[in-house]
Amino acid sequence: MKVAIQNNAKVLALFAVACTALVSLVSLLTKDTIARQEQQQLLSTLHQVIAPERINNDLYQDCQFIKDEEYLGSNQSQTAYIARMDHVPVAVAITSVAPDGYNGNIQLLVAINVDGTLSGVRVLKHKETPGLGDKIETRKSEWVYNFNDKDIIDEKDLRWAVKKDGGMFDQFTGATITPRAVVNAVKNTMLYFNQHQKDIISNTTSCRGQHD
Amino acid sequence: MAFFIASSPHNHIQAETSALMRLVIMAAIPGVIAQWYFFGWGSIIQICLAITFAVLAEITFLAIRDKNIKAQITDFSAVLTGLLIGISVPSIAPWWITVIGSVFAIMVVKQLYGGLGFNLFNPAMAAYVMLLISFPVQMTSWQPANELLTHDISFFNHLWLILTGYTWEGFSVEQIRMNIDGITMATPLDTLKTDLTLGLTVFESISNPVFGENFSVGWEWVNAGFFLGGIFLIAKKAIDWVIPVSFLTALWLFSFIAFSLSPDSSASTMFHWLAGGTMLGAFFILTDPVSAATTRKGRVTYAALVALLVYIIRKFGGYPDAIAFAVLIANMAVPLIDQYTRPRTYGHKGAE
Amino acid sequence: MTERSEYKELSWQGLWKNNPGLVQLLGLCPLLAVTTTLTNAIGLGLATLLVLVCSNATISAIRQWVPKEVRIPIFVLIIAAFVTCVQLLMNAFTFGLYQSLGIFLPLIVTNCAIIGRAEAYASKNPVKPASFDGLMMGVGFALVLMTLGAIREILGQGTLFDGAELLLGEWASILRIEIFTSDTSFLLAILPPGAFIAMGFLIAAKNAIDSSIAAKQPKAEAKTIERVRVNFEG
Repeated sequence: MKVAIQNNAKVLALFAVACTALVSLVSLLTKDTIARQEQQQLLSTLHQVIAPERINNDLYQDCQFIKDEEYLGSNQSQTAYIARMDHVPVAVAITSVAPDGYNGNIQLLVAINVDGTLSGVRVLKHKETPGLGDKIETRKSEWVYNFNDKDIIDEKDLRWAVKKDGGMFDQFTGATITPRAVVNAVKNTMLYFNQHQKDIISNTTSCRGQHD
Repeated sequence: MAFFIASSPHNHIQAETSALMRLVIMAAIPGVIAQWYFFGWGSIIQICLAITFAVLAEITFLAIRDKNIKAQITDFSAVLTGLLIGISVPSIAPWWITVIGSVFAIMVVKQLYGGLGFNLFNPAMAAYVMLLISFPVQMTSWQPANELLTHDISFFNHLWLILTGYTWEGFSVEQIRMNIDGITMATPLDTLKTDLTLGLTVFESISNPVFGENFSVGWEWVNAGFFLGGIFLIAKKAIDWVIPVSFLTALWLFSFIAFSLSPDSSASTMFHWLAGGTMLGAFFILTDPVSAATTRKGRVTYAALVALLVYIIRKFGGYPDAIAFAVLIANMAVPLIDQYTRPRTYGHKGAE
Repeated sequence: MTERSEYKELSWQGLWKNNPGLVQLLGLCPLLAVTTTLTNAIGLGLATLLVLVCSNATISAIRQWVPKEVRIPIFVLIIAAFVTCVQLLMNAFTFGLYQSLGIFLPLIVTNCAIIGRAEAYASKNPVKPASFDGLMMGVGFALVLMTLGAIREILGQGTLFDGAELLLGEWASILRIEIFTSDTSFLLAILPPGAFIAMGFLIAAKNAIDSSIAAKQPKAEAKTIERVRVNFEG
């Protein structure tokens, strides 16, 4: 009996070692490709909001963590990517959160030019009602392109609201809460940028843990 | 043909199925008239469309299944399903919404499960939910009551609007729904929900014109109409009074608890009774003998469960009204409820 | 049974008679969740197929050395290892698809079709038929996934092969077919309830085909009945 148990344990251990070895091998072989793919994925999203012709720095490395619950909508750290042309800052892309969507948080990427105008906005992740609130995605509707080139004066800028509330952005048929939440979050992100522009641009440490 | 649909002692009139169905259809008339008075001809057109296509679908599928068409079509159950769909869809929804809904109700929800008496879900409500999640824009485009409209719409204009999406003068559904300030108006339930997310209190929100002087312009009278019809049905012993009483009491209780805990973010109890499809649900949908629970205790539980779900979904859910979702979920619980509330047969011991 | 008829039987079982998706109803969770587009369905189908063939082959090859008492943990280990490898490979080479399949890729481990075949067939048969069985079961599963994916994509979006570039690289975006365009898509088809309804119709269609085939061959039916009677009388 004891021998049988010992034998079984040995066989099991042997297979565990063999399987782990196989997985580690594959992991080792694919590690670099996966890292490169993730980097490319992030860059292609960033390039949607900041045209690649305008920049020549390594956007992936030129980033920093920022945190502001009031303006960026979350108590988690958000990331700011700084786009530069020959070391001169061109625009900053900031991830932020609209906490008051119809079904919870909406994660956004907001790119702002150094002159304060918007370069572009994309929705990274959301849980809005299909068919009503999901028109914030570029694949469903052109709505999010309305943000391009818009600017903001101050906190009391009345244009920064949906048309139903007297602002300049369309709401969707049957859904006002979603666009209202997105407009509000973009507005707050821009206000944050206007306050902290100097700090963000002058920062030289990379969020990847390395110095330039 | 006698068609016993519920296990009996509770089915007080031993009449034929068709007589029962006819009674229910007649009882819906006051509510329909109220709908016509406040929302115009659109709802009447929708009801006609829905009944026509429900009956056509019933005939087609009975023919495919080699059933006796004449015997089953004269039980009026397809007419009732069509009527309920016609009442529930927005009065200015495009015609194909109603047609898809009616055909789905009869074909998938009723006939594929084996016809009348075998359907697990309430056909009209399953069709309504299918329409709502598939075409949310059209299904939430309720027109405001006539007195809030800037354009008066005639019968002909309503027909044209349903068939083509525009009135004869060329106004779109969107323009019809706008008030004088050019703002699209939603139903009272929807308006309240939107306002609460804006940080307004209930008290501030109900100054909106859609709520009128009492609870909600038009809707309160539609609900009153269905309430009247429901009383008539109970008086005729066509439906069991336990279900609506249990449902309305439970809904009153849940909204009262919430209202006393946080009056700023919860609507009043009367608002829950008189907005949306509460009364239609209480007397005409929950009482469907096929998909409701069969025992007395089971019916109390079933109706209270629906009330709880209605309240939770109205308050926290992603869609404005909740009767249909709540009924479908409770339908699924019916076999379980029946299992645990089976009455003790005389001479046998109680549940083990 | 000759070798050829054995393979023929395996194909018949995997592709139709004992199809893991339509008859055994195994792996329903990924089946219903990811089939919103044809591309997703092909991606998950191929991943499952690969895992199924590899695990069947491995388990059959080692079947002499595995003690009966600990076979299940060992099967699970092997399957989990292959799933992790497939997941890593997809993460590296089809990154977009990896993201759109999300949690359902690692969930292949819990797909009962795989451990079911390991236990029922691969652990009792030589490597060659075991791999073939894995191939046929995998293809059968992938075909159901693809049918469901195609139906739901056409109804819900009016397209086919939307997002094929995620699976096959940039060139594949030309594969996308726009069947019809409409402002109001039939959302139900893409949502989970639509998956259940479409799956129900697929199973019904299979049963209808089976019974119409059975109706055409009354003689084979009669034979089995005769044998039952002999047993009872004896």
